[in-house]
Amino acid sequence: MRAIAALAIGGPIVATAALCAGSTGWHAPWQLTSVLVELRGPRVVLAGLVGASLAVAGAAMQTLLRNDLADPYVLGLSGGASAGAVTSLALRPAMAPGPAAAIGAATAALLVRALARGPHDPVRLLLAGVAVSSILASATGLVLTLAPAAQLLRSTSAWLYGGLGTPRWTELALPAIALMVALLWLAINAARLDRLTLGDDVATSLGVEVARVRRGAVAVAVVLTALAVAASGLVGFVGLIAPHAARRLGGAAHRRLIALAALIGAILVMAADAVARTAFAPREVPVGLVTAALGGPFFLWQLQRGPR
Amino acid sequence: MTATPVLEARDLSVGRGATAVLSAIDLAIAAGEHLALVGANGSGKTTLLRALAGLDRPRAGEIRWSGGPLPRGSARVRAIGVLFQTEPPSRFTVRELVTLGLALDGPPDAHARACVETAIADGGLTALADRPCATLSGGEAQRAILARALVAGPRVLLLDEPTNHLDPARQAALHAWLDRRAPHAVVLATHDLALAARCDRAALLHGGRIAAVGAPHDMLTPAHLATTLGVRVRRLDDPEGGPPLLRILAPVPEAA
Repeated sequence: MRAIAALAIGGPIVATAALCAGSTGWHAPWQLTSVLVELRGPRVVLAGLVGASLAVAGAAMQTLLRNDLADPYVLGLSGGASAGAVTSLALRPAMAPGPAAAIGAATAALLVRALARGPHDPVRLLLAGVAVSSILASATGLVLTLAPAAQLLRSTSAWLYGGLGTPRWTELALPAIALMVALLWLAINAARLDRLTLGDDVATSLGVEVARVRRGAVAVAVVLTALAVAASGLVGFVGLIAPHAARRLGGAAHRRLIALAALIGAILVMAADAVARTAFAPREVPVGLVTAALGGPFFLWQLQRGPR
Repeated sequence: MTATPVLEARDLSVGRGATAVLSAIDLAIAAGEHLALVGANGSGKTTLLRALAGLDRPRAGEIRWSGGPLPRGSARVRAIGVLFQTEPPSRFTVRELVTLGLALDGPPDAHARACVETAIADGGLTALADRPCATLSGGEAQRAILARALVAGPRVLLLDEPTNHLDPARQAALHAWLDRRAPHAVVLATHDLALAARCDRAALLHGGRIAAVGAPHDMLTPAHLATTLGVRVRRLDDPEGGPPLLRILAPVPEAA
């Protein structure tokens, strides 16, 4: 509880700092200029939504696969979502890319599952993820090269390395609603997810309807990843770092784990975006490069500690 | 036995791939009864326990609970508690693990929390309650899992090799605990003949079939054990009527 309280206080502080940090220096928050309200405000909120969504998707996948290295980016769900989103924009520019991103992410999830043949061999799972990610990245790259740039909503680098852009407030509604629904479902099923980490047989013997809970958790991971990627391109490793940090702070029980992971993910991406905007000001670095700079070494550290 | 058995396998067959693991099993467990499953490796003991727990879908036949289907959802843990051989170490603390044995109907209330503390104390786990399960020894982890199986007060307990990881003192404690006759029925698979001898009945499994079932006194005989386990046994009966003493001498020589 203390960890949640500390983060719940820390979150707005980071959000305020991120709001004030701009490409051209720092603004005091009480100077509520139109830049702060109309441009940077929605961007900071979107950073929080994307971070929380990816973190929660990562936590759900880690429970489903009983593998601490599972993450939407590492296992290709993000790659599938981006391939789906850019293809949809190239073919039907008038349509929102979210549904196609969800189809892409779901396809990637099915592919990885088929290739890995179950969650029991963590190395096979990761290799399948790497393979599916590369295939989908090449598909995304091809579409980005061939399609007219004006149709693609954002630059190639923003799709490939993450970019929060300048969203309008109305664009935040769908990711926000999806995140709330997912958090609600996870809160209701937290006790079942706890039992699921003990293995399907034990969970069944403890009264969990394993197939139903698994389907729900997959849907959470796919939808949250798809909406995050459709809104911000590929922001990697958040789903890996945030649940791990949450477990260190609050233990393995899902009721706390999910809430903490969402908070940490939101703070992480808000902070990473503030760094991305200020580090090389006035030039902006893609936010995914910042999270990858943190996440890559973290992934290696986890890998050498072993799969559990 | 005229009362409806609490748990029953009827003409049960279970297979994996092309091979049949269990064939035509008929077994009824009465309320409060202790039944031992005795058989060599691969005779189907664990598969039978898994089928009784509703984990493996039978190829033929069925599992009945008080004459109906196995309870599901939150009623499940009040019906059946299980202790299986293969459970990966978890990240939970002992207290959290035992709490997961409670029925799935909302956050635990004061009564449920008291049940958790009782189960921890009964398992001799009080000093370990806040330790992560991954740091426990094999025997400690097994006691934690047993406490989890018991915390909701199931009517039937299914135990796979319950004395396997236990030191002699803990084995004796488990024997004594079973002798105290808690209200639940117990079905246990075991290689521990002394444990099997203390049960009400023993079922001898051989090649996926029940070769014989009856009182341990009649089942754990040198002749039966030679065919089902492939060992020569010397048996010393207790003149005061206690469980017989069984001493394994040597494997039965393979027929040439």
